[in-house]
Amino acid sequence: MMQAETIRTDALRPLSDIQIEQTREFIDSLEQGSQTYWDMVEIGDELSRELHITPELVILYADAVEDFNPWYEAWKMNTWHIKGESPFGGAIVPPVLVSHFVLSVQFDHNKPFAIGSIHTFHDSEILAPIPVGATVRIATRATDKYEKRGRRYVRHEVNVTDVENGTHYFRETRDILSL
Amino acid sequence: MSRTDVLNSLLVTRDTPVGYKLQSIKKKAVIQLMGSRLWGRFNPNHWDPVYAATTGLSAPIQTGEMSSAYLAEMCVNHFGAQMFSNARMVCKYVASTLANEVIVTHGVVREKTPKGNGFRFTVDIWSENEAGEKKTVGWVEVDVGV
Repeated sequence: MMQAETIRTDALRPLSDIQIEQTREFIDSLEQGSQTYWDMVEIGDELSRELHITPELVILYADAVEDFNPWYEAWKMNTWHIKGESPFGGAIVPPVLVSHFVLSVQFDHNKPFAIGSIHTFHDSEILAPIPVGATVRIATRATDKYEKRGRRYVRHEVNVTDVENGTHYFRETRDILSL
Repeated sequence: MSRTDVLNSLLVTRDTPVGYKLQSIKKKAVIQLMGSRLWGRFNPNHWDPVYAATTGLSAPIQTGEMSSAYLAEMCVNHFGAQMFSNARMVCKYVASTLANEVIVTHGVVREKTPKGNGFRFTVDIWSENEAGEKKTVGWVEVDVGV
């Protein structure tokens, strides 16, 4: 294990002094007043939120994983908003995109999030294609909290449905390792 | 060949045999992408080497979902539209993907079960670094020609 005191903020990417200062300040702000994920969640907790899956959101997601499949493009530079094309008509959402947003519905997002938790497992059912532009409801239920080899995990069940027409798009079981 | 022609040539069909290997996807765990707002910015374990070290990590780690997205890209290349209806993807993040590692995805058809006019394919999927250390393991199930 590397010794924290020997690691530099700019060890992996070039940063000036002011960027380093801003980075340390940002991280300090994340840590203030946060609880661990384990403490924030009780078995049986149910939460849900709506997510509008805009063309720009899909582009942000896909660009960062360098997935340039044109089926996901309802936004193009210079043209901007377009209908897009896929085997289902217009542009669709990458198959596990909504899974990435479940974390924001696994605890009370109005409270400071306990940074440092790690996603360890997901069992996802991709039931139907999600059109780009849809508004979905992500609903979660905490089903278990357990310890394994000295580590603490929280399990959730997740359902994602279309707010307008009720289409059931996605179902998932997922585990988070808490600090 | 156009992109569409290339992808059509990769598509799994009813005749694809057990043991068929999917074509790999290769990505680098780039710190700037790992720490982007939509991905890991909310958790400095994903982009700050100082914070990562305080939690026992030798370097910032990718969010697991980035690894799942890589595997999903490989599966879409091979299953096309069928990956978006009644498919299942199970992933366990068995080891952390560290900043600057190069990740390669893999997939091998394990089983095909008759269903309707086609088959439900089960494909073992995993990603590993260039040293062959597995990072994510799992499987997908996809209907083909059903």
